[in-house]
Amino acid sequence: MLFLRRTLPMILAFVTGIIGISIYYVPHSSAQGLEEVLARWLRIVYAFAFFLGLFSLLNLHWRRVRARQAGWGYSLIVYLSFGLMIFFVLYNDGTGPFSPQARAGGYQWLFLNVQVPCGATMFSILAFFISSAAYRTFRARTPEAAILLVAAVIVMLGRVPVGAYIHDFFPAAAQWLMDVPNMAAKRGILLGVSLGIVATSLRIIFGIERSYLGGGEE
Amino acid sequence: MIDRLLNIDRRIIFVFVFIGVAVPLLLDFNLPVKITPSSQAMYDRIEQVAAEGEGIVLLSFSYGPSTVPEIQPMVLSILRHCFSHDLKVVAICLWPDAVGLAQQALETVSAEYGKEYGADYAFMGYKPGGAIVIVNMGQDLHSAYPQDNWGKASSELEVTSNIHSLRDFDFVIDFAAGNSVDHWWVPYGQEKYKFPLGAGCTAVVAPDLKPYQNSGQLVGMLGGLAGAAEYEKLVGQPGSATAAMTSQSSTHLILIAFIVLGNAMYFISRRSARSQ
Amino acid sequence: MYRSMIILLVLMGSATAWGLKAPVDFEAADTPNDAGTSVTLTWARDADAPAGAVYQVMVATDSNGPFYPAGEVSAAGSPMSEDPAAFGFWSDHDDRQYVHVEEFTRPGEDPTKLETDRPYYFRLEARLGEESVASGAAVEARAMENFFNWAKLNNFILAISFSAIILIYISIARRRELYIRRIAGLEALNEALGRATEMGKPVLFIHGLYGMDQPSTIAAVNILGRVAQRTAEYDTALRVANYDPVVLAVSQEVVKESYLEAGRPDAYSENNVFLAATEQFSYAATLQGMMVRERPATNIMMGYFFAESLLLAETGTTIGAIQIAGTDSYTQLPFFVTTCDYTLMGEELYAASAYLARESRLLGSLKGQDIGKAVLIAVLLLGTALASLDIPFLARMFSSY
Repeated sequence: MLFLRRTLPMILAFVTGIIGISIYYVPHSSAQGLEEVLARWLRIVYAFAFFLGLFSLLNLHWRRVRARQAGWGYSLIVYLSFGLMIFFVLYNDGTGPFSPQARAGGYQWLFLNVQVPCGATMFSILAFFISSAAYRTFRARTPEAAILLVAAVIVMLGRVPVGAYIHDFFPAAAQWLMDVPNMAAKRGILLGVSLGIVATSLRIIFGIERSYLGGGEE
Repeated sequence: MIDRLLNIDRRIIFVFVFIGVAVPLLLDFNLPVKITPSSQAMYDRIEQVAAEGEGIVLLSFSYGPSTVPEIQPMVLSILRHCFSHDLKVVAICLWPDAVGLAQQALETVSAEYGKEYGADYAFMGYKPGGAIVIVNMGQDLHSAYPQDNWGKASSELEVTSNIHSLRDFDFVIDFAAGNSVDHWWVPYGQEKYKFPLGAGCTAVVAPDLKPYQNSGQLVGMLGGLAGAAEYEKLVGQPGSATAAMTSQSSTHLILIAFIVLGNAMYFISRRSARSQ
Repeated sequence: MYRSMIILLVLMGSATAWGLKAPVDFEAADTPNDAGTSVTLTWARDADAPAGAVYQVMVATDSNGPFYPAGEVSAAGSPMSEDPAAFGFWSDHDDRQYVHVEEFTRPGEDPTKLETDRPYYFRLEARLGEESVASGAAVEARAMENFFNWAKLNNFILAISFSAIILIYISIARRRELYIRRIAGLEALNEALGRATEMGKPVLFIHGLYGMDQPSTIAAVNILGRVAQRTAEYDTALRVANYDPVVLAVSQEVVKESYLEAGRPDAYSENNVFLAATEQFSYAATLQGMMVRERPATNIMMGYFFAESLLLAETGTTIGAIQIAGTDSYTQLPFFVTTCDYTLMGEELYAASAYLARESRLLGSLKGQDIGKAVLIAVLLLGTALASLDIPFLARMFSSY
């Protein structure tokens, strides 16, 4: 059992990791062909992950409904919503599930008129939260905070038409802030994070990092 | 009084923000939009492709319903620009919830310009895998997308029949709400297969793509609603982004006013605390 | 007068013919670093080539022809210096031109791609209008597959070097203790957990949106293990919200193990490590509702976040929770910095997991990353100085080809 849970996944991680790295440096057609095959396999694995996510979600909400946990009514709504969308997918505007996806119909209507507005509404809450967070935290308590505050005000004005309307300085200064200090900082973080990703990937490939297998150390 | 102004109930701020967003939308006036170099670079690239004749552009949809107000206007403008120059367009989705949005955008704009599906544009639908799909497309487009969104073979569509890989596209644009540009398209697409890549992204992602634009890996970038409004101005068709810029302007001014008020109250309270 | 005009025209035509020369030093060879689909032709640049002149590439499968067109190159363009990946950086590359040939076209047919390891014969013709001058005898070349992309040698050496540094330091860390500086956010972790214990309220641990294959999630899970151990010791309720089913499974195992190590296996409840939602804003809405209802004293947000970061952090602020966040998502860092009490930025998240775990593999790779960063900083400074003096070799060494 330990072989299947630990050893085999680690062997797979090592072999595919080394192959994946090697392919980058080898232009030979056999390497490129192998890359294409591996890419297709990986896409199949990704597709299966959707089923895993769906099963987990439905299982979680089913357990809540069955146990009548607090808020189980919302879990029922999850099932109803899921069922409604699946019904329209299978109905496929009258053509059935084995025909090409209909260009119109209930599924498209629900997506555009329910899911899109709901998603956009949730995202728009950020505008209010950013406002209250900015009011509370943009205080010039220290020289650094004051610099941050001034930069934030310049960018806020420079990125909207009213800034150019007030004075040409704002869009020019906002552009400079984005092109120079912002880019320098982003580059620094990007370099550091990229090194971290490389180090973590190496640990996974060489079997040094095993937390992705689940549980603590053996 | 100072204490109350220093700690204004957030709901009051919410009301002002709501007013700042809603009122300009109800009034009919627009402020002039200034074009940034990033947006101009995107526009110039499509103009260049059009000038070279018989160009084909790949649009990648990597966003969802939550970022529709920001990204959909730039998608529509880019499509109008492409179709106005009779460029062929191929659309793919790397996010599953982008399918309906891409379909809506393509159908809306193609109807405006009388474009025919299959001959002028094609929609290949969604494939899971993100970066892996890009690698696949770089090797063989028809292997990555053997069929379009409605089951027709990609080798039989006039638009895609002569396209073999990403290298055959004159311009690739990714519309991104997340990190699909810097985590997928640049390392697995542009760096491997060396094609011109542009981005349309949310405002929060735009600063992160600056290094890639500076290094030449990105031709240009449309950042957020402002970028969408700039592109609407460039193509000469103001739309929802241009209208929304007035709201964004007023909201920013309200926010700055609150920040100034907060700082003023902070310094006054600090001074009175010291004098006591 | 007409005779003068005719003489003038003849002289002009002759002058044009005299300006157009046959390509010199014409060579054909396999294109390096490819899959055997291309042959590269090079020739000496003609500085006196008349304006508008082009070089027409002709290909045949037999030395006696027939030759078919395979594209053309402007006499004014395509210096070898334009493609350093294929030719490197040599001073005379401005004086030679090149073209990569991948296919040729027989009349009335689709283009034919070059086959691997098959002899082809190449000729180059200089053309201007109707005039043309050929390069002489055809040159034979074959497109061959290459086993190594020499243009990526710099990348390969850097990758091997960095990998070696990481592995060496992991090995060193197994034998002796390596120093990590204090990280403010982690120092506050005990205080935050203690606060939750005193108030009798739960600790809410929130994973980001990525899966177990991402370094930020791995770091978050490592931190979760240490947090779970301490909450078990303090007898504080711990709620762990997950977005991904695989991360959920791993988190459940990690928390269970931690409670076992703390001697409190009875305190572990599977319901406390749960799947909140598998969609971004559903996840945010679930957690916001939970925060407002259960009012946790401490929020710990570790992992990769997107737009929901501010929703979560701001809601946490409204309920008065102490908040510690850690993310390598640079787009969300500003939101965490403004709303949370402590923020671990970028690599501090990776360092945090090493700091808490004190495991040699984590400490060693962290040290290796630091060495890598030190090298990059040195290269940046030196490269900038050299580039300012018009010495580009260091910049070229670190370029991607």
